Amino acid sequence: MTKVTRRTFGAGAVATGLVGIGLQPSMAQGTPKRGGTLVATWGGGEPQACYVPAGGGSSPTFSSSKIFERLARRDMDGSFKGVLAESWTPAADFKSYTVKIRKGVKFHDGKDMTADDVVYSISEIWKKYAAASALSDFASAEAPDAETVLVKFNNPTPEFFFASLLCGNVSYIVPKHVYAGSDPVTNPANNAPIGTGPWKFKEWVRGSNIEFAKNETYWQTGLPYMDRLIIRYVRDPSGRAAAMESGEIQIGVFNPVSPPDIKRLTATGKFVATSKGYEESVWSTTLECNMRNPVFAKAEVRQAMFFAVDRNLIAKTVFYGYARPGTSPIYSPNTAFFTKDTFSTQFDPKKAAALLDAAGFPKKADGKRFSLNLLAAGWFPENGKIGSYIKQALEDVGIAVNLTVPDRPSSLKLIYTDYAYDLAISNTSNPSEPVPSTTQYYTSDGIRKGVPFCNATGFHTDEVDALVAKIKVETDPAKRKDMVVEFQKIICIAEPILPLVELESITLASTKVQNHSNDPNYLAASWGDIWLAS
Amino acid sequence: MSAARGSSRGRAAARLLRRRLIQAVPLLLGVVVINFVLIQLAPGSFLDLMTAENQVSDPATIELLRKTYGLEDPVWMQLLKYIWALLHLNFGFSYRQNMPVMQAIWINLPATLLLMVSSIVLAFAVGVAAGVVASVKVRTFWDTLVSIAAMFFFAAPSFWLGIMMIVLFAVKLGWMPVGGMETIGGAGGGIASVLDILHHLIMPTLALGLFYAATYARVMRSSMLEVAQADFVRTARAKGLSRTKVTLSHVLRNALLPVVTILGVQMGTVLAGSVVIESVFSWPGVGSLLFDSVSSRNYPVVLGIMVLGSLVVIAANIAVDLVYMWLDPRIEIR
Repeated sequence: MTKVTRRTFGAGAVATGLVGIGLQPSMAQGTPKRGGTLVATWGGGEPQACYVPAGGGSSPTFSSSKIFERLARRDMDGSFKGVLAESWTPAADFKSYTVKIRKGVKFHDGKDMTADDVVYSISEIWKKYAAASALSDFASAEAPDAETVLVKFNNPTPEFFFASLLCGNVSYIVPKHVYAGSDPVTNPANNAPIGTGPWKFKEWVRGSNIEFAKNETYWQTGLPYMDRLIIRYVRDPSGRAAAMESGEIQIGVFNPVSPPDIKRLTATGKFVATSKGYEESVWSTTLECNMRNPVFAKAEVRQAMFFAVDRNLIAKTVFYGYARPGTSPIYSPNTAFFTKDTFSTQFDPKKAAALLDAAGFPKKADGKRFSLNLLAAGWFPENGKIGSYIKQALEDVGIAVNLTVPDRPSSLKLIYTDYAYDLAISNTSNPSEPVPSTTQYYTSDGIRKGVPFCNATGFHTDEVDALVAKIKVETDPAKRKDMVVEFQKIICIAEPILPLVELESITLASTKVQNHSNDPNYLAASWGDIWLAS
Repeated sequence: MSAARGSSRGRAAARLLRRRLIQAVPLLLGVVVINFVLIQLAPGSFLDLMTAENQVSDPATIELLRKTYGLEDPVWMQLLKYIWALLHLNFGFSYRQNMPVMQAIWINLPATLLLMVSSIVLAFAVGVAAGVVASVKVRTFWDTLVSIAAMFFFAAPSFWLGIMMIVLFAVKLGWMPVGGMETIGGAGGGIASVLDILHHLIMPTLALGLFYAATYARVMRSSMLEVAQADFVRTARAKGLSRTKVTLSHVLRNALLPVVTILGVQMGTVLAGSVVIESVFSWPGVGSLLFDSVSSRNYPVVLGIMVLGSLVVIAANIAVDLVYMWLDPRIEIR
């Protein structure tokens, strides 16, 4: 699961409403122009390190993904493509995969990238940091020869799961000769990484920018097109808007400026905005019920919460239309597993009141049924605004609400360590593969006190646990999809977590910038093929 | 006679310096203790954030991290350990920057010092000059102009002023860079780089310094008018000295005393103001580092900056006391 670090956001790729706000898809136009410098930014702050082995959030992922590469990537059509892997083939029992490594790839320090680097990365970095939860069934990784890696698991492992693992946000191949024998978390190379990607780390001016130089010996001949890439960090969205308007920054990903500024800048004709490039990194805002509170023991009460809330209103007012109501724990752009065929709650306060009455919570003399503590996680400013609305909406059906909006560290502790909330407004971002990133919010093994972004509600049933255990090892794609659909149906009726809205992230770019937003997780793409028109 | 007086003043200054340095020790200790306790009172810790960002799910690893960062000790023990480390000039380790705290601060310190010094110089020069003009031209157009300008810059929030300057001078007119400390990629080195930094410095300095300039102008004006009524000024005029000579040599020097006092007191607020201005202008200074460190509960860095800020304020106030003695030799500071 992607960690929450940025301040403003949106996500997805629905066409609805995009025309009115001037959103346009990015296209490569004409022959790529070589040379020049591209200055980019994103809608958050400076990273703690240029590369964080465990991910560390969107900011280090943005910077490290320009330097390191993965074994595979996902294309815009949903298919998997090899990057540092030429192929991967499962054994008949799906308990092992043979990965063929691309030949002739060199690290930025001139050393060859070999199967040993891949074995080290999987065993020491992925297993321990980058994909620890996903690799719970990992047994070993071996290199029978210089171009082959054999990855073994304790149980059958579905192909989609394995391919998704190779494309993981920070499933990078790191140089063994730099990391072996050190603590990867504190290795000084994390602030000046050495990878195989199209961009070589050049300089980090703390508080200002990271500069990358063209990798002249990049294995994809002809790339990158540009000579220099600079990621500039501007804390304030209005400062980013000014820098883009003045031409100092040419492209901003992940909502670099406020929605009104998106409309203003695209109206000049000098900028384009697109929601493409976020299909694999959709963000969602959720309302989580703490099942430790006996009030939530009955599903009717949880459903009543959700009938009382107008999600369309949240999408329109809080997010200026850059969001859509959520309907499932699997996000709607997930073409592999999403289903519309689930129990859905619509805004209906009368039905909410009736459900609460039926559940044994009639209004008392003071007009209140019971009271709840609503915690809006303060990592995104929008959560506080949603909290204010939900407080009013629940009070309309007779539930007294005490709203708090703690800052990021306090929210993490109160939700995931202390469980000190009744309702929490939080955020998630999961890739297409649902295990474990999505399922861990609903299974008993996802309840891990003190571990953020997993099951904090305490919800668990034997039925869901058993179903997820089957999804994890089912190797028939059709059967597996049916199981994931079944999972969504069960969860949408139980509703321990309501998907309030799916967010539309926006990339804003100068019309001169070509060939951008062409990856379903564009913030974490390599950007080797981007170029600037004259 | 003059040499003896000079030597006596030198000894007095040395005594003052020694006394102030001794007084600074309990002051610094107080700053460390108060800030340490305040930080402990804030909910959530950098360990929560670190485990969140690194998806640490193993309880043994979390325990190991607690030990590594000394969080398993009681608070009083952590405080004692911190003070002991400070005595050895060890400000701790910043997990976020993956480097010692002193190194993290040191990287950002030059930018902040540059911004602070330029803002103070601007504020002092503009404020004193405007105050002198207003007092000399009292109840004229110039006095009114200075009063209105002072009122405006005193009332305008510095972040708003900064954003307005960016919109006008950077976005609309294109005269100034939007932010940063230098042109990314370098301006060519040598004198070109110096000029480039000065170019980037103009707007942050104005945004931060004009508020203080407004304060100094108001104080300077009233101080000048008050001193101008003093007996020694009347005597100077009676002796036939020119108006300019009386104003510059007698009134100005004595009227500066309250401005210098405010200057010393406001050193801390200038540092605090730089947090906001550095954010608006993406100025890579200690203010930005402090902002990030507070929001990420990076306590070692927050404490390091607090201690450093206290040192700056203490040093500024000692300097003010010494300037006092120079401005008015009759003053004996105890």
